[in-house]
Amino acid sequence: MKRNAAIIGCGQTKHSSKRRDVNVAEMVSEAVYNALEDAQVSMREVDAFIVGNMPGFGGIAQPEQWLGDWIGAAGKPVIRIATGGTTGGSVGQGAYYPVASGLHDVVVAVAWEKHSDSKEAGATSGLLHVGLGNLFHAASYGLNLKNLMAMSMVGAAAGVAVYQAVFYMHRSGCTIEHFDMVAAKARRNAARNKYAHLQWPGCTPEDIAETELLAYPFRYGHICPASDGASAIVVAEENLARKKARRPAWYKGLASYSDEENQLQSENFGGVGVLDPSEQRGCWVSAMKAYAMAGIKDPQKEIDMAELYQPFPSQELIFAERLGLFDEGTAWMALEKGETDINGRMPLDPSGGVNATNAIGSSAMQRILECALQIMGKAEEHQVPKKVSNAVAHGWGGVTNYSTVTVLGDSPGR
Amino acid sequence: MKSESEIIDVKTLPFTANFIWATGFMMQRFIEELASRKILGVKCPGCGYTYVPPRSRCGKCYAKIEEENLVTLSGKGTLVSYTTGHVALDGQGNFIDLQEPAIIGAIKLEDADSTIFMPIEGIEPRDVVEGLKVELQWREETKGELEDIRCFKPA
Repeated sequence: MKRNAAIIGCGQTKHSSKRRDVNVAEMVSEAVYNALEDAQVSMREVDAFIVGNMPGFGGIAQPEQWLGDWIGAAGKPVIRIATGGTTGGSVGQGAYYPVASGLHDVVVAVAWEKHSDSKEAGATSGLLHVGLGNLFHAASYGLNLKNLMAMSMVGAAAGVAVYQAVFYMHRSGCTIEHFDMVAAKARRNAARNKYAHLQWPGCTPEDIAETELLAYPFRYGHICPASDGASAIVVAEENLARKKARRPAWYKGLASYSDEENQLQSENFGGVGVLDPSEQRGCWVSAMKAYAMAGIKDPQKEIDMAELYQPFPSQELIFAERLGLFDEGTAWMALEKGETDINGRMPLDPSGGVNATNAIGSSAMQRILECALQIMGKAEEHQVPKKVSNAVAHGWGGVTNYSTVTVLGDSPGR
Repeated sequence: MKSESEIIDVKTLPFTANFIWATGFMMQRFIEELASRKILGVKCPGCGYTYVPPRSRCGKCYAKIEEENLVTLSGKGTLVSYTTGHVALDGQGNFIDLQEPAIIGAIKLEDADSTIFMPIEGIEPRDVVEGLKVELQWREETKGELEDIRCFKPA
C-alpha cells in the first residue's frame, strides 16, 4: 500500500552565468540548506538524499562522492540519478518513491548544473563528451556515412529543436512571431522571479524580433542561457507533511516514458517510427499515465497551471499540447489571447521557465519545485493570481528523448 | 565481414575539453595565503572540528562556517598514515620505475582534526613510523599556488 507524499520545502540558489565564488559542493549545499530552512526540517530529520546533474557536464565524474558531506549526507543513503536533460525531473520523482514505499519518511532531492566550470562556451565540453560517446557507440555498430553525417550535424538539443519547431509550425500554422511572444513572456516572468537568470522587465515580442536569426526559425532572443545553479526539495510522508507545512504540495501522479524519437532511432536517422520530432509521444504517454494516477480526467479543466521544459519557445507550445492543456495545434492561439500569461486562464511557466534559466541538470527539477511553490502559495512576485489546486511539471531530455511528467496538487489523492 | 583495410584506427580525439573549476572562496583564500607562508584552516563554530584546508559547511554538525572562523595553523604536524610509491606515471599512460621510493603521508597538523596528504622527504622509508613529527617545507619562492608547499620533513 503506497503512502501519500508531499513537497514541504523548496530551496534554490540565485541563477546566473557564473558562480565563481562557490565550488560545486558549496553551490549544491546552498540549495539543500535553503530547502531545509523553508521546510523547517533539521538535517537530523532527513533520512536519505536523491541527487543528480547532467552526466558528463562540469567534468566531474562522480560529483555525489565529493558533495556528500556538504549536503549532510554522511552516514545516510545517497542515490545519484542521471537521465540526461530530464535528470532534474527524475530526481524530483526519485524522492517520491522511498517516501511512498514507506522506506523513508523525509527525503531531500537536489539537482544542479555549473556550466561556468567548463572552459568552452556553456556546456559544450560536456556535450562533446556525450556526442563523441554516441559517435563511437554508433561507429561500433557499423553506422553508414550518411547517418554519421546527419548525426554530427544535428548537434545536441538546439539542433533537434530547430527541425522540431519547423515541423510544429507546418502542422499548427504558428509563426516565428509566436516564438517571439513566448520568449518575451519568459523574460518578463523571470523578472518577477528573484532566482531566475535572464530577467527583462517589460520585454516585448518586438524586442525579441530585433535579435539576430541564428538557425531558422530561432533568433538569439529565443535561446535559453547556460546557468549556474541548484534547486532542492524536501519530500515528507503525510503525518510530517501536515505537521510541518500549512499547504503541502502533494504528489498526485507521476510518469516517465521514453520513445523512439531518440536521435539514432527515428526514421530520419535510419531508425524506425517517428518522422516528426514535434510529435513527442513520450510526453503524451507520460501525461496520460500521470493524469490517470492523479485521477485527472480533463486536464484542460482540472490543471490550473503548468511548468514546462522549454529551452526553446516552440517547445512551450508543443509540450502544452502534448500535456493535453490545449487542443492539437491551438496553443499558439491561446498564447495570442494571453491565456498563458501569469494572470491568464492557463499560466505556462510563470517562473520564466527553462527559456529564462537553464542549469540543465536542475531545470526539470525546477519545474516540480515551481509547481510546488505555486500550490504552497510561496511563489511571491510570480505567484499566479488564480487558485492552484493541480499543477503539472514536465521534463524533456534533449536528443535522447526521455520525458517526465509530475502532477502536484493541494490534496493528496484522487 | 569487413576487410582489415576498412577498419579505422582512431588515435586522437578531434577536440579537447577543458575545465576551469571554481575552488570556492575558502579554498581560494587558502591558496592565496600560501604566498605569505600561512596555512589556513577553519574551526567549526558548531562543534569545534578544525578543517584544513578550510571549508564553508561542517560535514559533522552541519553548521555554516564563515571567514571569521578561519585560523592559522603552524605547519607542524604528526604522521598518522603513509605509503611508499615505487612507480610513477610518465604522463603518457606508462609506469616508470622510481630510483628511490617516494613517501606520501597523511599528516595531522597541530590544532587540526582533518588530515592532508603530502610527500615526506628527508627520511628513509624504513625509518618512517606512525606518530613521526613532521614540518612543512616551503618552496623557495612562494607565489600563492598549491605547489608552494613542497613537502614535509621530520621535525
